[in-house]
Amino acid sequence: MKLELGNFPVKEIEFGEQTAYQDGTLTINKEEALSVVYEDDHIIDADLKIVEPGDEVRLVPVKEAIEPRYREGGGPVFPGVTGELMQAGEGQTKALKDMSVLVVGKHWGGFQDGLIDMAGEGAKYTYFSRLKNVVLVADTDEEFEKREQQKKNRALRWAGMRLSEYLGRAVKDLEPEEVQELELPPIADRICELEDLPGVVLVLQPQSQMEEDGYNDLSYGWDTNHMLPTLMHPNEVLDGAMISGSFMPCSSKWSTYDFQNFPLIRKLYEEHGETLNFLGVIMSNLNVSLEEKERSAQFVAQIASTLGAEGAIVAEEGYGNPDADYTACLVALEEAGIDTVGVSNEATGRDGTSQPLVAMDPKADALVSTGNVSELIELPPMETVIGELEALARDGLSGGWEDDEELGPSVREDGSIIMENNAMFCGDGVTGWSTKTMKEF
Amino acid sequence: MDKKAIVYINQFFGQVGGEEAADHPPEIKEGAVGAAQALAAEFAGDITHTVICGDNFMSSNQEEATARILEMLEDIDFDIFFAGPAFQAGRYGNACGAIGKAVKEEFAVPVISSMNEENPGVEMFKKDIYIFPGGRSGAKMREDAKKMAEFGNEILTSEGPFPADEYGFYKRGIRHQYFRPDEKTAAERALDMLLKKMKGEEYTSELPIPEVDRVDIAPAIEDLSQVKVALVSSGGIVPVGNPDRIQSASATRWGKYNIAGMDRLENRASEGFKTIHAGFDPAAADEDPNRVVPVDALRKFEEEGRIGKLHDEFYVTVGTGTTVGEAARMGQEIAEDLKDAGVQAVILTST
Repeated sequence: MKLELGNFPVKEIEFGEQTAYQDGTLTINKEEALSVVYEDDHIIDADLKIVEPGDEVRLVPVKEAIEPRYREGGGPVFPGVTGELMQAGEGQTKALKDMSVLVVGKHWGGFQDGLIDMAGEGAKYTYFSRLKNVVLVADTDEEFEKREQQKKNRALRWAGMRLSEYLGRAVKDLEPEEVQELELPPIADRICELEDLPGVVLVLQPQSQMEEDGYNDLSYGWDTNHMLPTLMHPNEVLDGAMISGSFMPCSSKWSTYDFQNFPLIRKLYEEHGETLNFLGVIMSNLNVSLEEKERSAQFVAQIASTLGAEGAIVAEEGYGNPDADYTACLVALEEAGIDTVGVSNEATGRDGTSQPLVAMDPKADALVSTGNVSELIELPPMETVIGELEALARDGLSGGWEDDEELGPSVREDGSIIMENNAMFCGDGVTGWSTKTMKEF
Repeated sequence: MDKKAIVYINQFFGQVGGEEAADHPPEIKEGAVGAAQALAAEFAGDITHTVICGDNFMSSNQEEATARILEMLEDIDFDIFFAGPAFQAGRYGNACGAIGKAVKEEFAVPVISSMNEENPGVEMFKKDIYIFPGGRSGAKMREDAKKMAEFGNEILTSEGPFPADEYGFYKRGIRHQYFRPDEKTAAERALDMLLKKMKGEEYTSELPIPEVDRVDIAPAIEDLSQVKVALVSSGGIVPVGNPDRIQSASATRWGKYNIAGMDRLENRASEGFKTIHAGFDPAAADEDPNRVVPVDALRKFEEEGRIGKLHDEFYVTVGTGTTVGEAARMGQEIAEDLKDAGVQAVILTST
């Protein structure tokens, strides 16, 4: 499978007459862009903002991040989600780089939503403060979940994808500045040339623990709760086959942007043919019942063994209960004789003394740790808030609270905040971004 | 550096005397006295006072000694507290840990000590204060004091963070996130680790899984009719007044209570036994403590001749939030006591 990713670096974003990309500047016709957002009647109020690294802006509640793209031939960027089902990972896709579309609730947030500071001390806690962002800030008529802590955020997330596809069409007829060829030939065809290099698989455990539809990560539009681990070509993940869900505490979450740019996949691609033979992605999931957890782990180990993998990297989207799936998978791979490395965050509590993972096993002897979900973070007020700051305290964001005997409310009158890392938008960078680790103090 | 320190040392290092002076009550002297001078040589601030206390006095009157020392410090302005170095001396290590912990809690200043890895004070107090690995005896005084003083200088002048692996104090089970100065991403780290692991090279896991010290299950006893059986529990059942002040969570104490002649444990309402365990709803256990420590059932077995005898005392602590280290220590102490009493079998009840 071969994917040609045509990159269009975005150096500046501005509003203007016509939506177009020229010499690194993305110009957006705001009215036309908003009309795409309003195609869904459930969007009752919407606005667009532009934020850049260094802007004194706080965004909350942030629900999703997406890289704007255009699929050559006009097919959906997210097959099975924004359009008909088709094969992702093959052909040509154009991408607006160094930017994302961020989706922010105008008022209402929830457990799964997060916060981004574009400047100051808070900026270091999330990758998205480094990007130029087109911010869709909107409200919906989804009354059934307005006051629910768990929100599907369906209208807003889909509006974000439509907007991303709209912006992506700006480069439809343009030549990309750079084309990256991502190609892995069929496994059977590489036996001779790569026989000295160890075969390695990447095992992904996207979040799929909600039994009800509408919350979990989707694979070609299919709820990952309803699937068994399967082999995917890494190009599929990078090319829109996977979209983020709306469930996990936010620092643990993998946004759609993260799937599209997956640093672990990119790193394995770099090493392919040099130090290893990248066999592919085993797309697993995270489950509710013990038997489901064990079944998925068994399938992963079987697929990896059948492929002849000698090494595996496992990444978990979440913490707490899904640590059982994570550890079970690490153990199953080790027991199958495959050298395995895990990537996850930890939950050691505000004082740092809690057991890091819910389930631990001495066989999991090579782990990369990307942060502590419960770390307390205190940040000064920001000049501008996009969205509604009170949502952090009021709406049950996983890292916020209305009041606390010792710490007071998460949101203070002067606009300063105190929160757990839990609410940092995709802050723990388990997909591979994180420059954080954990240490003993 | 314009910072003030107070040092705690025992009677020996305070030049009061040896074992014959171990009952020396706490006193405070101005300046760096005795072994505190080894710290003064390296500490960039001022050691304004030295507290000296006999090891016996501290170990047999810990609460009183602690209270007296805290009172002495009340009106003194200080930025940091050093205790020791205590080397391998068990009582001294315990004293440094106990007073260090109390000072940290009362005055919220950093507390630094040094102990040999064999000193039981390390396990007991490394969570509460900074303890540096030290030598076995006073021969290492200068070296150990230097480590303490240098870390003191660092902690008073720099903003941190202070990771254990960089500064060298015992890991405390306190894990926090840390931004890597080299900005090496998780993807790069995962790949490096995997390549090393596949090649059989050394690598360092960022989340070391603690070793589980599993104990094999003892072989079954064929005939219990001649065996003395004891009840041991982590369910927190104690006489209503909790005479040993066993903690309701994170216990460090255990107790043994006489049940000779009792057919059953009387409940809380009858002023008998209750649970002090904070990890479960106490209503059922308070109503009938035999459901956690089944004296009634064992008496029945005794009567029927199915067991030889129920030991006259049952043993108890609280198992919620209790560290594995403390639990193992208490278990060893209880086991020794059971062996001395000729107990041959134990029924261990949890909750």
